[in-house]
Amino acid sequence: MTTDNRRAPGIERALLVAAIVGGALAVIAGAPARATRGSVDVRRLALIVEQEEDHVTAVELANWIRDDHKGLRVLDIRPDSEFKEFHVPGAKNVQLPEIARMPLDSTATYVLYSEGGTHAAQAWFLLQARGIENVYFLRGGLYEWLEQVMNPHIDPKASQAERDSVRALARWFGGKVQIGTPTPAPSVLDGVLTPRAPNATRESIRRIRRRAC
Amino acid sequence: MSDAAPAVVGRTAGSTTAHATTRAVTRHEAAPYASPYLAGVGIGLVLLLSFVLMGRGLGASGAFSSVVTAAVNGAAPTHAANNGFYARYLGDGAGSPLQDWLVFEIIGVVIGGLLSAALAGRIRWTTERGPAITNNHRLVNAFIGGAVMGIGARLARGCTSGLGLTGGATLSVGSWLFVIAAFAGAYAAAPFLRKAWR
Amino acid sequence: MAPFYEFGRFGDSASLVVAVLLGIAFGWFLERGGMGNARKLAGQFYFTDLSVLKLMFSAILTAMLGLFWLSWAGLLDLSRVYVPETFVAPQLVGGLIFGVGFATGGLCPGTSCVAAATGRRDGIALVLGMLAGVFVFGEAFPFIETFAESTARGAWTLPDAFGLSHGTVIGMIVAAALGAFAGAEWLERRAERPAAPPEPAR
Repeated sequence: MTTDNRRAPGIERALLVAAIVGGALAVIAGAPARATRGSVDVRRLALIVEQEEDHVTAVELANWIRDDHKGLRVLDIRPDSEFKEFHVPGAKNVQLPEIARMPLDSTATYVLYSEGGTHAAQAWFLLQARGIENVYFLRGGLYEWLEQVMNPHIDPKASQAERDSVRALARWFGGKVQIGTPTPAPSVLDGVLTPRAPNATRESIRRIRRRAC
Repeated sequence: MSDAAPAVVGRTAGSTTAHATTRAVTRHEAAPYASPYLAGVGIGLVLLLSFVLMGRGLGASGAFSSVVTAAVNGAAPTHAANNGFYARYLGDGAGSPLQDWLVFEIIGVVIGGLLSAALAGRIRWTTERGPAITNNHRLVNAFIGGAVMGIGARLARGCTSGLGLTGGATLSVGSWLFVIAAFAGAYAAAPFLRKAWR
Repeated sequence: MAPFYEFGRFGDSASLVVAVLLGIAFGWFLERGGMGNARKLAGQFYFTDLSVLKLMFSAILTAMLGLFWLSWAGLLDLSRVYVPETFVAPQLVGGLIFGVGFATGGLCPGTSCVAAATGRRDGIALVLGMLAGVFVFGEAFPFIETFAESTARGAWTLPDAFGLSHGTVIGMIVAAALGAFAGAEWLERRAERPAAPPEPAR
C-alpha cells in the first residue's frame, strides 16, 4: 500500500454524511445566528407615534415611580459602566441585543430610556415588534430626567402650586432645584444629587428594587 | 480500497521496492497510522475546543518567534527592544516572552506526539529520508527547509497550523491565500527535490 | 456562553494550562495521522500519499462547521472568536516561500515538534533551522518592515470578500473539500498500481 494509514470506512462514511448535511444546512441557514422575527402593524404604530402616545415625559415617569405605578418596569439601555455611574431609581440595565431576546411580561408597563432618547426609541420599536403594547420611552432621555426632575429650573412665572410640586419631586429623588437663571442640562456627575437623599427616597428606592423591576 | 491494516505493517510510505539496507526506514513493529480523516476530525475537534474555551485557535510558528525573541533579549536587550519584530513578542516587558500561550501549546504538542508514538511503538532514533540521499544530506535539507519556513511563516504571520487550520476554519481571506500559495510553492519546488524523496 | 475565556470564566494562568492540554491533544492526533513522518508528508507533493490534504481539510471542515452551528445555536459568540488578520502581499509571498521550505524540509513547524519528540533527527534539524530562519527574519525586519506591514485588511473573511452569506461560503468549502478527497483517493489508487517491473541489477 502506498499510504500506511489504517482506514475506518464505517466511521469515515458517517463523517462524510455529517459534512454534507452540515454544509447543506449551512447554505440554507445563511447566517450563523438564529433569526428572531417580530412583526408590526405599521399603521397602528404610525398612529401611536403621531398621537405622541409612544413616550412619556421625565416628570410623568418620576410621578409613576413616586406613586409606585403598578407593573412599572424601567429599562436603562446604556452601557453597563454608564449605568453604574448613575441611573433612574429602580431602573434595570439591559443592552439592546438582550432586548431582542429577554423574556417579557405583557401585563407590565415598560419605560425605556437611554442617554439622549434615540436608542430608547429604537428599543421601543423592538418591544412593539415583539408584541408588547404597554411600552413607552423617555424622549429626551437621561438629559430630560436630569433637567426636569433632578435639577429643574423653577419658573418664576409659574403658580405656587406648580413650583411646590417641582421642588417636592426634585427633593424626593435626592436632586436639587436650580435657583436663578436656567443653566444648561447638567452632566450626571455635576453634584446633582444631594449627599443624603431624604428617607422617603431611600425607602421607595428599596421598594422599587425589591420588585426586581 | 480494502481495509488492509495487517498487510500494511512492515511497509514503508511510498516505497514498494526493497530498500532493506537503508537504516532510515520505519521498522516493522510500528503500528500503522490512523485514518487521516479521523485524525483530521480529531484535530478539528481540538481546534473547535480551543475556540470554545479560549476564543482563539491553535498555532505553532509564533512559539518559535517567542523562543528566538527570548534568546535575543537575553543576549542583547536593547537591540531586541528597538527591533519592531522582537518588540511584538516582548510585550510590555513585564514577563518573559516564553510566558506565551503558543509556547505552552507547543510544549503540549511535544508531549502529545511523544505519547502517541510511545503507545504505537513508533519512537525511533532515526532520520526520515528518501532512499536516494544520505542522512547528512537529509539533515542539511531539513535545516534549510526549516530556515526557509521560518522566514516564510513570519512574513505571513503564521503557518499551516495558525493560518491553515485556525484561519481556514474562521474563513480568514489571508489565511486561505497563504494555504494556496504554500501548496503552490511546495508543488513548484517538488520536482527539483525529487531525488531527495523518491 | 463561549468563548469562556473571553467571558472571564477563567484567567491567564488557567489559560496556559488549557494551552498545554490542547497542545497534547493536537500533538497526539498529528502523530496518529502520521504527520510526524517527513517522508510520508512529502508524499503529498508527489501524489503518492495525500494524507496532509485529507487531514488538514478534515480538521478545517470540522472546526468550521462546529463554529457555525455553535453560533447558530446561540452557544458561542462568534464576534469574540479571533480571526487571523489578512495581509495580502506578505501572506501570498510568505506562503510561497513557506511552501518551498515545506517541500524541502518535509515537515511544518507544528509537525517538526512531533517528529523531534519521536526521535527523528531530521525533525530536530528542522526545528533548529526554523529558529535560525526566524532569527534571520527578525534581524532583517527593519529593512522589510514596510512590506511586512503592507496591504493589511484586518479580520477580512471570505463571506465579506465574496459578498456571499457565511453559510454559502461554508457550503462551497465543504463541496471543494469533498471533491479534493475524491481526487486524493483516486490519485493514491493510481500511485498504487504496480509500476514497470524493476530493472535488472547492473
